Amino acid sequence: MRHTTTEALMDYVDGRASEDEKSSIDSHLSICKDCLELKQELQSLAVRLREDASFEPPAELLQWGVNLFQPIIRTETGGLPKYIASLVFDTFDQPMFAGVRRVGAPPRQLLFRAGDVDIDVKIEAMEANDRITLVGQVLSSGTKFFENTPVKLESHGLVRYRTHTNIVGEFSFDEVPKDTYHLSVDLPEGQITLFCVHRGNS
Amino acid sequence: MSASKYKSYSDPELVSMCLKGDGHAWEALIRRYRRLIFSVPVRFGFEDADAADVFQAVCLKLLEHLHEVKDDRRISAWLVTTTTRQCLHLRVLKTRETTGEDENVEDRQDSSINLEDLRLVTEEQQSIREAVEELGGRCQSLIGLLYFDSTSPTYDEISGQMGIPVSSIGPTRARCLEKLRTILRRRGFS
Repeated sequence: MRHTTTEALMDYVDGRASEDEKSSIDSHLSICKDCLELKQELQSLAVRLREDASFEPPAELLQWGVNLFQPIIRTETGGLPKYIASLVFDTFDQPMFAGVRRVGAPPRQLLFRAGDVDIDVKIEAMEANDRITLVGQVLSSGTKFFENTPVKLESHGLVRYRTHTNIVGEFSFDEVPKDTYHLSVDLPEGQITLFCVHRGNS
Repeated sequence: MSASKYKSYSDPELVSMCLKGDGHAWEALIRRYRRLIFSVPVRFGFEDADAADVFQAVCLKLLEHLHEVKDDRRISAWLVTTTTRQCLHLRVLKTRETTGEDENVEDRQDSSINLEDLRLVTEEQQSIREAVEELGGRCQSLIGLLYFDSTSPTYDEISGQMGIPVSSIGPTRARCLEKLRTILRRRGFS
């Protein structure tokens, strides 16, 4: 018995086979288990490949994801070193306690760490005016407080807001528009950058 | 360094390069997993704007958690879990907005989506994508034009774009799919 070729089976699967070819393949598939299995496998593969095209994100969305990295690829200009803080705690990842009910979105609390410096951040969304309030504190593992330390909120590559920490290292940005922000803290040892605010998960 | 060079790097290599500030490595990572991330909210049935929100949030989370995933041989599982959680979270927020009801993400049993099936299908789909990438060269281009191109080019158009005769498209496609099946089998895909 002569088996059907992969090429002929793919024409059959893609609907490119002529009526005569289709009829001949149908007859063969009814008596050949191997070719039937191959046809089913190719059909399934073609479906999965075609389906994948529908999962392509829009080009501008993909570019948004790519651009997200820009703030930390700024070249060093002989200034202070830059550190990327790692996220060590996020209430967003924590389940709510059983039975707990809330009205509105709960504040999001995050803790970032870079070396022996911790940065505690709380983001509260105000549904009424589509703004967020961001408060935080820069802490060290020792007893030192980071007083009068510059803190910046950047979005789309530009510094949008600036403030300084108070005597115990606290800072706040009140009612800023929802956006994706990078928060950076300028310490004497270098600049720490955090990626912590996104309009969809604040 | 060329973009194709970055494509050949493993996930841990790309993450390690990202942590050293290499933006091209980040781009390669996002491009590698773009469809995986976007497919989850699409399978959840979210509208475009919500799917985009999930995509953005997951990209941001990946950036935030690079230190944690740097040793993972494959971060696809981490991304599927994170994206699924993001979708569940968004669904809860939307339910809360429309009904005023509060629900716990962890307790929520979604009858329309089997999360384990979703994980398997999403990871399998990523294996197919990676196998197509591994094909490289003419095979990858042909498979892309035949199956991924939203304009559904005709054989004549494919012939023009690839510079091959129309008559050789069928046999080339068959050889490429055979090669793809071999790669998938080697990757343990059944």
